[in-house]
Amino acid sequence: MPSNAVITMQSLSRYYEMGDQIVKALDQVSLEFLKNDYAAIMGPSGSGKSTLMNIIGCLDTPTSGTYDLNGQNVADMDDDELARIRNREIGFVFQTFNLLPRLNCLQNVELPLIYAGIEPSERRERAESALTRVGLADRITHRPSELSGGQIQRVAIARALINKPSIILADEPTGNLDTATSHDIMDIFGELSGAGNTIILITHEEDIAHCTSRIIRLRDGKIESDERR
Amino acid sequence: MPLIEIIRQAVSSLAANKLRSWLTLMGVAVGVFSIIAVMTTIDALDRSVESGLASLGANTFQIQKYPATVFGSGHRRNIYVNRQDITWREAQMFRKNMEQKARTIGFIISSQANQAKSGDKTTNPDVVLTGGDEHFAASSGFDVTIGRNLTASDIQYAKNTAILGSDLREALFPASENPLGKQVRIGGEVYTVAGVFTKKGAAFGQSQDNFILIPITRYLSHVNEKSSLEITVEAWSQKEYARTLDHAIGAMRLSRGLGVREENDFEIRTNESLVESFRDIKSSISIGAFIISFMALLTAGVGIMNIMLVSVTERTREIGIRKSIGAPKSSILRQFLYEALLLSLAGGLIGAAAGAGAGNIVAINLQLPPVVPILWAAVSMAVCSAIGVAFGLFPAWKAANLNPVEALRGK
Repeated sequence: MPSNAVITMQSLSRYYEMGDQIVKALDQVSLEFLKNDYAAIMGPSGSGKSTLMNIIGCLDTPTSGTYDLNGQNVADMDDDELARIRNREIGFVFQTFNLLPRLNCLQNVELPLIYAGIEPSERRERAESALTRVGLADRITHRPSELSGGQIQRVAIARALINKPSIILADEPTGNLDTATSHDIMDIFGELSGAGNTIILITHEEDIAHCTSRIIRLRDGKIESDERR
Repeated sequence: MPLIEIIRQAVSSLAANKLRSWLTLMGVAVGVFSIIAVMTTIDALDRSVESGLASLGANTFQIQKYPATVFGSGHRRNIYVNRQDITWREAQMFRKNMEQKARTIGFIISSQANQAKSGDKTTNPDVVLTGGDEHFAASSGFDVTIGRNLTASDIQYAKNTAILGSDLREALFPASENPLGKQVRIGGEVYTVAGVFTKKGAAFGQSQDNFILIPITRYLSHVNEKSSLEITVEAWSQKEYARTLDHAIGAMRLSRGLGVREENDFEIRTNESLVESFRDIKSSISIGAFIISFMALLTAGVGIMNIMLVSVTERTREIGIRKSIGAPKSSILRQFLYEALLLSLAGGLIGAAAGAGAGNIVAINLQLPPVVPILWAAVSMAVCSAIGVAFGLFPAWKAANLNPVEALRGK
């Protein structure tokens, strides 16, 4: 195993029982992500990309196989250990943004730090600098409802960055945005990648996938292709 | 997650649904209100009970037909009603049987709801006309403030002299006027005022000073309304009190002609027996209020659980988001549990404050000193906490155990 691997998955499977049928959402997938990887996972709906994303993001655990995240075997962890991993190692960016509507930008970005037990003064400082980094320094006291879609997604990216995670996991991050705004968001991901972050994004848009340096295609729960460019 | 953050979040979540939160906590408030209001009133009564109920003089007890309070009805009441009145003849025999075993033995007979008149002034028809003797004042705890007490000769010759209670004096005569020697008409007879008693104050909101005392002999010969006599016995000393009581019971049984196997057909009333009967009433009311409040609080608890379940369903997405950014189960559990607890405690505080207020309004109307029911407020807060936890736990547990993937897919 190369020393700079962040994620190593071997023979990873995830089965669902649907009545008396067993659906193989992921079937014997082996994958490795290296530090500073900037990868896109593509595939038609039902190909297993959401399942893979949930497992990478420690929201779900595999039926069989191993998943090492920074040398920790995640496959066997219990719910609270998984919560801790999500808090420290993973930054999520969702298609539907998933900010809490009653909190302002600063409070939304601070939230992971609260669960990490960081002091209020440090929380505020770090949240402000994360928002500055995504270009929203002047919007910190606004609520999500007062922002445009692109701004909301930038708040979500700031929240994903706040705990300096090992990987940033973006699920169709531009799916609800127009083309121009999508390119702004992809520019931010490009910058973050250039700054040494490991980024995995899921998309079904070829032009978005082509912003990345590695494209993994899934079909029927198996890897169809895995190209670095 | 630190406690202060959880409380802040709980407050902000409840504030987001203000009307719903208010309605839910009002349920708790009503439950707490009822018990605190009743208990505050009872506590206020309790404080005045020692002085208010100790209406008899020191080392004194009374023998009468009815007990101090008749609690209940039907059969129990009939037992007392069917008893023979204590007559003048029996009273005289009792005095003879007691020989020198008591310091004083007095007799009282009274009729309620009389109207008194003097000059152009007429009272409400709520004056008590009491026939008594020279021992009445001491055994009932009254002092004479103006004029004199009844004398043995007043009794012997059944004179038409009267001593006024202080409230009756105020009702009939202006403060500047000397009532001594004035005429008072009551029960169709005219009496000459010979003295006025000191004020004793109200017990349970009822005046103890709105009465007129006339010689018992006069009463028996001139007042038409006949009722049972009360016998007042003062022991020689505190040490002799118990022995005197035994003698008195024996002497009374003899006077009433009771056989060995027959039960007493009269009641002994002491200062203690009054306080005791008050305690009986108090504990019955307390138990009743407690049961009613408990039911109300259970209902309120179900309301809390209901609203928390709705809240968990509505906020499935929020729970998913929190889990995705690393909220452990315990943190989600506490977040929802504290919301339930906050609803319950806020309702409890409002109910306790309103209940203490209402109880004290009643107390003030009964001319009792106001009280702060600290004990009951503390008990209510404890019960509210228990209810918040008991009924909040299931919704909170449900929230904490949501699957993050499914929760994120929720609305």
